[in-house]
Amino acid sequence: MNTYTRTVRDALYEEPGKKAKKQIAVATAISLVAIAVFIFFIAKAFYDNGQFDAKYWSFFTKYTTWRFIANGLVGTLEAAFLAGLMAFIIGMIFMIGRICNYKILNRIATVLIEFTRGVPTLLFIYFFFLIVPQLGINLPSIFRISIPVAISACGVVAEVLRSGVNAVPKGQKEAALSLGMTESKTFTKIIFPQAIHQVIPALIAEIVIVVKDTTFAYVINFPDLMQNAKVLISNYDALLSVYLVVAVIYIIINYILNKISVAIARRTQTSPVITR
Amino acid sequence: MSIGELLSVYGEKYLQGLLTTWELTIFSFIGAMIIGVIITVFRVCPIKPLRLFGEFYVQIFRNIPGAALLILLVYALPELDLILSYHSCVLTATTLIPASFCSEYLMSGINAIGIGQIEAARSIGMTFPLMMRKIVIPQAVRFSILPMTNLLIATMLTTSLASQVPLSPTDLTGVVSYINTRSVGGVTSFLISAFFYCITAVVIGQLGNLLDKKVRILR
Repeated sequence: MNTYTRTVRDALYEEPGKKAKKQIAVATAISLVAIAVFIFFIAKAFYDNGQFDAKYWSFFTKYTTWRFIANGLVGTLEAAFLAGLMAFIIGMIFMIGRICNYKILNRIATVLIEFTRGVPTLLFIYFFFLIVPQLGINLPSIFRISIPVAISACGVVAEVLRSGVNAVPKGQKEAALSLGMTESKTFTKIIFPQAIHQVIPALIAEIVIVVKDTTFAYVINFPDLMQNAKVLISNYDALLSVYLVVAVIYIIINYILNKISVAIARRTQTSPVITR
Repeated sequence: MSIGELLSVYGEKYLQGLLTTWELTIFSFIGAMIIGVIITVFRVCPIKPLRLFGEFYVQIFRNIPGAALLILLVYALPELDLILSYHSCVLTATTLIPASFCSEYLMSGINAIGIGQIEAARSIGMTFPLMMRKIVIPQAVRFSILPMTNLLIATMLTTSLASQVPLSPTDLTGVVSYINTRSVGGVTSFLISAFFYCITAVVIGQLGNLLDKKVRILR
């Protein structure tokens, strides 16, 4: 057995003996039955309420349905991409503010980072949806969703970037400075490239949060996956099946992103990240 | 509206909102811890189907957006003749999602212990319960304090989902939407709620750091 697949949870027990093997077999059988009963009751609830009827599922064989879902998905990805980009840029600025040599900027950046991390995305969305128009500013709908999502992500991005910068050994900076590189050149040529390499898994994990947060786009009527799902529901009068399919699509996207993050973490020998 | 006006007209709403947010946060967090521990036991036990069930649970609830889960609970469950109150829908959503992260933190806490220690414990003849009590659980708990602090803050942020259903009294986010759909609350109305969230998060964070410093294992 190679050391890689052997995790702590495998090491917790000894190789089971005859008696233990029997007990495990019995427990396995019982748990299988329990899970089967669980699935049976879910299926029964679906069946009793006619949720398996063809009218709820047949439109999923139509091309137009999937094209509509794909359109919504494009909306989601556009909003998520824009939000991610903005979060990275603002996060970068916050991080530089946090680590630069000016005490006042450090303070301001710290307060802003803590503020964006302590306030829920939905509150920012309501701010841009209800309060910003009161000030006479009318933003296009894609910005009404992607700006709040970006703001609530940028504090975390800043902290992630900072942890990457801190992970670069001090000697590197000293060496670069003693070679006569300027402070800013040291940062852009030596420190930052290594820092970003360290935090790529964490940044990808943050994209998952951004994608999740864009689901609130229905609040502002931006045509994302969730909003298009609503249209499908009213067209085909099929609520449960559409929402289930949409939820599964979100789960698959985020699952893949998380897997990519873990795979990169493994390759670059950095630790994988768990975010909210 | 000025801050004085807002507080005199809607002060009580804000207070109720703060209490609702706290209440949802505390109950969700306790529920998430209980479910998280059970799921983690499933994931480390030698019974294959339970392990798979644990992994499945975590992958589903780690990756589903909160809004999608809440909508399923509020609108889709009644189609299956299962009608929950709005309050329990919110509580279910804000419990099931953090529970999956709780399990992930506990698993990484267990994995941080190191196989060597467990092999050492076994080689000096410790029984399984003794090893759990003396080696695994004390360390896993200490490793988990900072992540759990973050989880508590994340749970608080998740409870803003409550603003998506008609609740009375509504939570801190719901208050802002309530005020601004009826009158022009302005930036201040947002800042009051944001301040309450931030203060709560900061206090939780400080307490977590204090506790972590007390019990941290220095290497």
